[in-house]
Amino acid sequence: MNRLDVRGMACPLPVVSVKRALESARGELRVLLDDGAPRENVKRFAEGRGYLVQEEQLEGGFVFTISGAPMREIVAAERAGTTVMLFGADRMGDGPEELGRLLMKNFIMTLVELKDLPDRMLFVNTGVLLTVAGSEVIEALEALGNRGVEVLSCGLCLDFFKKKELLAAGGVTNMLTIAESLLQARSVVRL
Amino acid sequence: MVKDGDYVAIFNSIHRVMEAERLLKDKHLKILLIPAPRALAADCGLALRYAEDVRVEVEVALAEAGLLPRDVYRKSGEAFEKIGEDL
Repeated sequence: MNRLDVRGMACPLPVVSVKRALESARGELRVLLDDGAPRENVKRFAEGRGYLVQEEQLEGGFVFTISGAPMREIVAAERAGTTVMLFGADRMGDGPEELGRLLMKNFIMTLVELKDLPDRMLFVNTGVLLTVAGSEVIEALEALGNRGVEVLSCGLCLDFFKKKELLAAGGVTNMLTIAESLLQARSVVRL
Repeated sequence: MVKDGDYVAIFNSIHRVMEAERLLKDKHLKILLIPAPRALAADCGLALRYAEDVRVEVEVALAEAGLLPRDVYRKSGEAFEKIGEDL
């Protein structure tokens, strides 16, 4: 049985770690996790993907035994690859800046309401301004992260805008990962 | 994006909702421009979300500026309850 310990990790890392483990795991996955948001988010994520989750309480946390359900194989076969969204700017479309920013904000918040989500959201250039403190979509990006979407910002871009210390949603990535993600994805949605 | 007990104000046009957002932000009131929930029809597709603790300040500011929302709803469980017809 595969094992994973996500205790002490801040959200959305427990969900992201479980998602990665499930994608590569065969058979059951046993996960040690903290009570509260990690427990709720991981359970919602796994059950939402069609897995069976059995939980046991331990001293100082919980253990989930996550096993594959038939639904999983069907979904996996249909998807066969990842969907990546590339955010190359902090606004959507050409036209007035104010409208473009509003549309982008609206788009990201709308994703939260959808059932089918991208596997990964990559933020480059002024797109990283959406993932740093002061952005109005942090709450939405956290909600997406808790549903298993990997939110990654270009480290070089954060550095360029002097916002490295202000990252407020997701993690930091580099061009190698960005290039690989784009080339290996089943579909890329560029915004 | 809308939690139980939050208020959602729907406006008649994109220009009014954007103007309302600017006004309330200038007053440092904790509001958020959000996509209008699917259950609530809104021509512009946008709405303002705010919590009970700033409700009076928000609605007074909007009234003073002549930016009354078309409708205000309160999230209650899975449903949205319409609040007063005359806001």
